Amino acid sequence: MEVNELVQSKAERGFKYALLAPAVIWIVALTFFPILAAIRFSFANYALGEGITAWVGFDNYARLLTDGSFWYALFITLIFVLVTVPIEVCVGFVLAWMITIGVPGNKYFRPILTAPLFTMEVAIGYLGVTLFTDQGGLYSTILGALGIHIDWLSTASGGLTAAMILDIWIWTPFVFLMSLATLSAIPNEIFDAAMLEASSHWQVFRHVAIPLAWPVLTIAILLRVLEGFKAFGLPYALTSGGPGTSTQLFSVMADLTTIQFTDFGRGSAMGILYLIMVSIVITFFFKQMRKRIN
Amino acid sequence: MENLLWRNSKWASKLVVMVIVCLALCWVAIPFLWAIVNSIKSHTDVFKSGAIIPFLQFTPTLDSWKEVLGDPQSLNCLFSSTLVGVGTTVLVLLIGTPAAYSLARFEFKRMKSKDITLWFLSQRVMPPVVVLSPFYILLAEVGLIDTWTGLILLYSTFNLAFCVVIMRDIFRDVSKEVEEAARMEGASLWQIFWMIALPLSLDGLIVTAFIVFAFCWNEALFASAVTSQHAATMPTLILASRSTRGVDFNSAGVNTILAIAPPVILSFFVQRYLARGLSFGAVKG
Repeated sequence: MEVNELVQSKAERGFKYALLAPAVIWIVALTFFPILAAIRFSFANYALGEGITAWVGFDNYARLLTDGSFWYALFITLIFVLVTVPIEVCVGFVLAWMITIGVPGNKYFRPILTAPLFTMEVAIGYLGVTLFTDQGGLYSTILGALGIHIDWLSTASGGLTAAMILDIWIWTPFVFLMSLATLSAIPNEIFDAAMLEASSHWQVFRHVAIPLAWPVLTIAILLRVLEGFKAFGLPYALTSGGPGTSTQLFSVMADLTTIQFTDFGRGSAMGILYLIMVSIVITFFFKQMRKRIN
Repeated sequence: MENLLWRNSKWASKLVVMVIVCLALCWVAIPFLWAIVNSIKSHTDVFKSGAIIPFLQFTPTLDSWKEVLGDPQSLNCLFSSTLVGVGTTVLVLLIGTPAAYSLARFEFKRMKSKDITLWFLSQRVMPPVVVLSPFYILLAEVGLIDTWTGLILLYSTFNLAFCVVIMRDIFRDVSKEVEEAARMEGASLWQIFWMIALPLSLDGLIVTAFIVFAFCWNEALFASAVTSQHAATMPTLILASRSTRGVDFNSAGVNTILAIAPPVILSFFVQRYLARGLSFGAVKG
């Protein structure tokens, strides 16, 4: 018996490492090393075909940190996240609550209300041009009929607002889906009992639904913030970063620096600085996930 | 489905709730409908304001569809998108699922399986611009710029971690008793994984495959950076026509529908586990 168990545990050891190894090797080779490479490139000038042409120390970083457009890109990305995420969370959660409490027809609404989540950001940005253009765009025409004229695509604030509106269109369903899954996992009896005790619907929502859903809502918020900081396709397709560079969110600016202007050293430095800033959010996210993963 | 909370509500609040839900449905539906309407308008009708309802206000035509589908470049891009999406999904599941099972069932000497899982997760939440330079340089050095292989390599890297994290969570739901019983019958470890755990987790596997496919299909940053012609996918095509054509209602309509239809339609069939998959297992639903 003992020998048997020993053989078995040896087989088990071989088995578990054999299954795990390819994935670990892949990630180490194609994530760990690229990040190290990015740190290395950030201290150098790199030219395609020639490799590293010069070591420049902290030059790339110094130039970025003293460059107004770098801070501007960070600033509008932060605004983008701070405006879209709260709206997405509030609207998504309230809609999920309304579906949960049993609006007639609720089971048909779920697939429709989640559909935008899987649309291609670039395509929605391109479609957004035809929604917001002042030459017959649907939203500008409707608003025009109401006497409201906004220069959506020719000003920085208009372009950013349009991008935020479409971002909210795509991502509110994410929070909606998370909230719906959480709320519908709560037994109906709890709400029924709460309703008998509470004096109003609002109290059940405020003192029962929100606290019960809060742990999952935290994860949803953090995931939205992390994804918001990655925003690229939608704003880029909608405004191309313009007018000028006024709607270049951080990822758009980093992409243009790296790919269009092939300034890989500066691009790497941008990436590393961004990683350091975003890691504050990542740390919060991990604290929460550690509690949820068993 | 009607519960006490709904029945006990005042009719006024019921009305408010119904109005809000209807507004939300319209808000969601309008861009889809707008894309469809524009795709079947003629080049002159798109500039007539008030031409919104087909047949009544304008005569629908398939001209724009013929134009786009008759262009070999759009067909190439659709094909590339499909190939890269399916290729990545298969590769990711092949490598990621075994690793996920290993982390779900076994403990490791140096690190807890939970910590290894979180290490995988950390790779997924990092902003992708961090590795834009090194990946571009890597692909350029090995001659994989503008190739399907290059894109599949990149996308597999981004999705592998996701697959490991979410499939581990799903495997942990498979009851250990079933596996113990199979073991008593003399099944090998591999047989238990392949013939018991995997079939019992099929729903989760399908959702994982869908999310990975949708990610590849929609990804724009790396697609536009490393492809231009031969391996160009739909996002690259759309960004290109955005900059060459400017505001073109017809082409925007057709391309939007072609680009968003596959994942959106697939999503209707994989509603179960979707919240769980998208939240890395944080939501059990």
